[in-house]
Amino acid sequence: MTMPIPGSERFSSRPVDPDELAASLPASLPLHTVSQEQIDALDPLTYEVVRHRLWSVTDEMGEALKRMSGSPIVTDANDFDFAIGDELGQEVQVGLYNTMLVGAVDLAVYWTLRHRAANPGIAEGDMFLCNDPWVGGGLHQNDVIVYQPVFHDGQLFAWTSAIAHEPDLGGVGLGSFSPSATDVFSEALPTPPVKVVRGFQLQDDVADLWVRRSRVPMLVGLDLRAKIGANSIGRQRLLSVIEQYGADTVKAVMKRMMADAEQRLRDKLRRLPDGTWRASGYQDQSHAGDRSLHRITVAMTKRDDHLTFDFTGTGPQSGVVNCTYAGMRGGVVSAVLPLLAGDIPWAAGGLMRCFDLVSEEGTLNNATFPAAVSRGPIGPAWLTGSLVAECLSQMLDRSVDHERSVQATCCGTWDTAVLAGLDERGSQPVPFLNLLMEPMAGGYGARPGADGMDTGGLFCIPMGRIPDTEMTEFLYPLLTLWRREEPDSGGPGRHRGGVSASMAVTPYGTSVPMGLVLASAGKSVAQNNGLAGGLPGNTGVEVLARGAGMAERLAAGELPTTLAEVGGQQEFGACYAESHLAPGEVFYMHWQGGGGYGDPLLRDPEAVARDVREYKVTEHGAQEVYGVVLSGGRVDQEATRARREELRAGRRHRAAPAGPGPQATVDLAGARRLDDNLVEARHDGAPVVGCAHCGQVLGDARAEGRLRLARFDGPSSAAGPQVTSDPALYVDDEVVFRQFCCPGCWTAVWSGVVPADHEDHALDLARLLTAAPSAG
Amino acid sequence: MAYVIGVDVGGTFTDAVLDDDAGTIIAAKAPSTPPDYSRGVLDVLGVLAEQLGRPLEDVLTDTHHIAHGTTSSLNALVMGNVPPVGFLTTRGHRDSIYIMNVEGRYLGSSPHELQHVLGQTKSHGLLPKRHALEVTERIDRDGEVVVPLDEDQARAAIRALLDDGLRAIAVSLLWSFRNPAHERRLRELVHEMDPEVFVSLSSEVSPRIREYARNATTIMSTQIGPGLRDYLGTLEDGLRERGLRGPLLVMQSNGGAVAARQAPATAISTVGSVLTGGVVGSVALGQQLGHRNVISTDVGGTTFLVGLVVDGEPVRATTTVINHHPVNVPTLEVHAIGSGGGAIAWLDAGGNLQVGPHSAQAVPGPACYDQGGTEPTNTDANLVLGILPERGLLGGRKPLSLERAREAIRTRIAEPLGLSVEDAAAAIHAVQNAQTGDLLRKTVVEAGHDPRDFVLYAFGGAGPAHCAAYAAEVGVAEVVVPLGPVASAFSAYGLASSDIVVAAELSDPAAMPLDPVRVEKAFADLETQVREALDRQGVRYTAVSLDREIDMRFTMQLAELAVPVPGGPVDDAVVAQAGRAFERRYAELYGEGSGFAAAGIQAITFRVRGTGVLPFSPRLPELARAGSADPSAARTGSRPVDLADGAGPVDTPVYDYRALRAGHVLEGPAIVEVPTTTVVVPAGRTGTVDRLGNLSITPRQESSR
Repeated sequence: MTMPIPGSERFSSRPVDPDELAASLPASLPLHTVSQEQIDALDPLTYEVVRHRLWSVTDEMGEALKRMSGSPIVTDANDFDFAIGDELGQEVQVGLYNTMLVGAVDLAVYWTLRHRAANPGIAEGDMFLCNDPWVGGGLHQNDVIVYQPVFHDGQLFAWTSAIAHEPDLGGVGLGSFSPSATDVFSEALPTPPVKVVRGFQLQDDVADLWVRRSRVPMLVGLDLRAKIGANSIGRQRLLSVIEQYGADTVKAVMKRMMADAEQRLRDKLRRLPDGTWRASGYQDQSHAGDRSLHRITVAMTKRDDHLTFDFTGTGPQSGVVNCTYAGMRGGVVSAVLPLLAGDIPWAAGGLMRCFDLVSEEGTLNNATFPAAVSRGPIGPAWLTGSLVAECLSQMLDRSVDHERSVQATCCGTWDTAVLAGLDERGSQPVPFLNLLMEPMAGGYGARPGADGMDTGGLFCIPMGRIPDTEMTEFLYPLLTLWRREEPDSGGPGRHRGGVSASMAVTPYGTSVPMGLVLASAGKSVAQNNGLAGGLPGNTGVEVLARGAGMAERLAAGELPTTLAEVGGQQEFGACYAESHLAPGEVFYMHWQGGGGYGDPLLRDPEAVARDVREYKVTEHGAQEVYGVVLSGGRVDQEATRARREELRAGRRHRAAPAGPGPQATVDLAGARRLDDNLVEARHDGAPVVGCAHCGQVLGDARAEGRLRLARFDGPSSAAGPQVTSDPALYVDDEVVFRQFCCPGCWTAVWSGVVPADHEDHALDLARLLTAAPSAG
Repeated sequence: MAYVIGVDVGGTFTDAVLDDDAGTIIAAKAPSTPPDYSRGVLDVLGVLAEQLGRPLEDVLTDTHHIAHGTTSSLNALVMGNVPPVGFLTTRGHRDSIYIMNVEGRYLGSSPHELQHVLGQTKSHGLLPKRHALEVTERIDRDGEVVVPLDEDQARAAIRALLDDGLRAIAVSLLWSFRNPAHERRLRELVHEMDPEVFVSLSSEVSPRIREYARNATTIMSTQIGPGLRDYLGTLEDGLRERGLRGPLLVMQSNGGAVAARQAPATAISTVGSVLTGGVVGSVALGQQLGHRNVISTDVGGTTFLVGLVVDGEPVRATTTVINHHPVNVPTLEVHAIGSGGGAIAWLDAGGNLQVGPHSAQAVPGPACYDQGGTEPTNTDANLVLGILPERGLLGGRKPLSLERAREAIRTRIAEPLGLSVEDAAAAIHAVQNAQTGDLLRKTVVEAGHDPRDFVLYAFGGAGPAHCAAYAAEVGVAEVVVPLGPVASAFSAYGLASSDIVVAAELSDPAAMPLDPVRVEKAFADLETQVREALDRQGVRYTAVSLDREIDMRFTMQLAELAVPVPGGPVDDAVVAQAGRAFERRYAELYGEGSGFAAAGIQAITFRVRGTGVLPFSPRLPELARAGSADPSAARTGSRPVDLADGAGPVDTPVYDYRALRAGHVLEGPAIVEVPTTTVVVPAGRTGTVDRLGNLSITPRQESSR
């Protein structure tokens, strides 16, 4: 770990007290604001009309950005976002693209107000550019934000912003990613807010300074103009709304949108039980050559109408798997928005007032300068979001009203592979650089009432997409041998996690080896956890088949569609590696599916039969994981019953004893749901946790602090066919398949693929027996 | 005497318009008759014949052609009411249609649905995986065969599909638009085994790069092709038996028609035909009225459709979305921007008033229909405000319950907000107008135009009550409500006025500067295809025009822009001119300086559209002129009406459209009751009955009094 650099603290932006920020600004920067009376005086008609108009403005900005950008990661993967903020940059309206960015955009504006208002000043016609993840705006240096103050009658009225991932901004690694970086100086240079537009003019000196660092300066130049264009559209449209309705009315609507969203989220929180829920997760490997696990842990406490996320205990910053405070906040937002605010307008400035963050500096998701952070969004920030979602789902699962918002963890990262080499298909050889987009087709987590979406995408980029194979082959010297959904990759459960997909490519139209940079996680431990006894989805795997001789084999009419058919010498790709892909070789990627919900032995056998027909589950998986036996494609009821009993007996046989305790049962009739398997009931006059299936008392706070469950630790492969490789290939830590079962009926209550020293939050009785929800 | 007839088969009604070459236009309506819609068509033709006082056989004998638009294929796709089909694709790539590029999860969703990620599904798969089989073959981006087609393996796959009872097979292979040999061979193999099986090839249905959309397009075309073939066959037989000698034409999404016999092979091209009828009608009416730029708004009970006419030409799109799948159909761009008269007003959890996007649909309908609906809609608000007559719609044939409307608004909106029922109704009306205005503005502006340069046409039952207000929201000065003899069947009028349009396209992606020889060859091949297709229609044209375009983009962009290219020989100058036209169009859409030629420009798809102009198309007849501008003869009385303009209820004159004559001028506020709709002329505006019987609404100072 590198030593902190004195003087770098100045660039760490944090959420602010808006009044204090406003008071700190120089007289040269008058703000436009409205009083609470003006906000209260809005009539419902005007509010709705202007609100809708602002939505339309934001939407137009996004359309413009998306259509003008030249980065596939924007145009195809939709890794971008845009926002309108009030005079202090609090987000009033955000786009529906990369939701993690929502947690970072306002931080950049706050910082700019603090550090640019006096010198060089903030004036009409300015736009700022920033890619410093400590300042905010984005989560790593590739996220570049362009944002502008909008003035009305000489007063600062609002901010618009447009942000997108740029393919390369320099640094030692292709795509600005170096898997062996030891600090940020090996990555793209973080650029704090700089005026790229002044007096409505793009400043050529700044633009040149900006694009000069990149391996693809033309694309970066095109995107810079796209962002400027989107902001210009936002400004024009916003000013015409002001012209029609008056500045005070528009501002009152903006403020009320945030207050309204905040109020609705607070109302919802108030109706949920108070308590503390915990989750811990891991990134396997932190950089090329590393073989350890890196833990992020969170304790979510809900009191009345407020949430606190406490990350104390998270591991120290390490290698490249770090993110700044902006990344931690972005991760939290990416879970809170869809799970808690799916039915509330995303006036994020208001929603973000409902939580605060507690974290130690210098940790994986609150890294201090000069930690390497290029893996920030898809590593630690993503994991942060997954863990927060896990806590929220535990809280929400108790209530039938909210279980629609409960979801096992989705694909836990975006496996990245960058290929760069020489395209020799044209008359002149040209260099190319391609980030393979396909791993965006991850699986979604299962829900109490539904299976996870198969190849549904990435949870934190709701509108992501992957390119067509033909577009990839048109642009790059590659032949895609296959791209398909992988059976058994969805986390087994009463509801199955969504399956993921795999792809295999071989060089085509190039005579020299291509460089290959790998960055991924979730290969030894699961990042796509199940819920309520559901199992994690598949572990990721990358394979390089050396000496596969594809050119000759294609010529001979062979089209392999499995790794076994590909043959050659197959190397497993490390999570972080720099390698190459030579002509004739094959590169295979299989990314993560979603976690399952509930015990797979409780899954409707007909649903399993349908999954087998649709190649979502193999017959082998059906028997081994779901205990469903098919005969001629139909469920063999008798054999299935026997097989399921056999599997339950196997659980009993292999488990460590649950330990001594009362063998009491509770009456399920009066019990209250905790999740798919657990209920809260009364026993001997005290609240206890019981098994929802057999009624056995599993936890009594008077006797002990932990649930009394039977425990099994076995090799990770015991989780099922979704574990695709040996953890020892990647890490030195011992990794196990751990399952806790009810010692009465042997229903799985919790399942995971975790390090042996994983802290078993699942056994924590306090998370289950908390105060009953308040009335109302 | 020669007639041209347009028939618009909707889900509920079949409309028809007949025009003779002597200036007479009549319209008729009959119930649609699912599942065999052809009976409804014959019924409505019978009604037309009755109105003419001639036997149907005589009318059909004298009919030059019938142009026919149908919603049944689209409905079949949307409802999933299609026969099972098989799918053959390249080995390793079956799952393209299941992965759906991920975007199949959310394409075509409203903003509200987009935000609610946990409410989304991918359960709209095109077909079960056992019916999607891979064949061993591979072609590369240059059209070179990498792995030849394994015919034995292909036969086994086809056999498996046939053994499963499938009677239609879609074939879509990677890069088939560069080299269709394997697809064609597969069709031969299918027909060797069973010549009766319906086969669609992606290289014929949609020879465009990006396999997911091409696969989905080919599969959907195969799903509706046999049904369309059977339906049109039955209909054409029925018409021939009754004496029709001229061609039966089918409207396509691109705003032009093709011969019924030609339609099933590329059935997907007909899916949007009913949606586009109104835009084609607007083009025709615009020609007669001298309007070059028109915003066409068609507001029904459940839909609000917007199309654009720019410089006399309808604005086109190259892709549409059906059931969350992208579909490659050249189409007139028609945006569904929310709901119509049945849009439900509701309060969200924050107590904010919202209107739509949910609709009360036909059943139960607005609360005032008294069919069990309890939620307040636009229509209920309009009744409470006095805009709609208390005695009901359709001259009283559709009774309305003011009591139910008031009750719904009172309980759901007024009391929770602490407003009077009247104020709540006014708020609903105003929110609807403002939101419609936002969506209209977005639609026009995102197409790169300024709404102030347009005239707005409003038709459909629910549009004319709002149009003057939503037009004012976006700065449109003149609104025209088409009210002549075809008011109730404007879409059928559009069909009757359509020409034959045949398009052909081919992706041949390459970077600028393009090789002129390659471009010329691409266009020459496409033009040959288009001319042959025009010949196959069996119709006499007075003129044929061919339009070329290239879809271009800056390198790596997702979206392409269609750029027109002049006909004739192609040289470097023509190529360079196309590049400049692209940059110019790009700047129009996104602002000056937004483009960046240094990133490089790519041409992706070449397209030729051939228009065969038919010998005649209907012109609306002129209405008798009024003796003076004074419309009092048509005034039936007055009632208090609140137009949600802040003035509260104002005693407002009511006019009977049937008594209005060309030249009558109505000062707003005024209400015009038409049998099929109700028109609002707001205060400060003037309504003028034009020579064709349309009501033109303009700001008072611009009126031609």
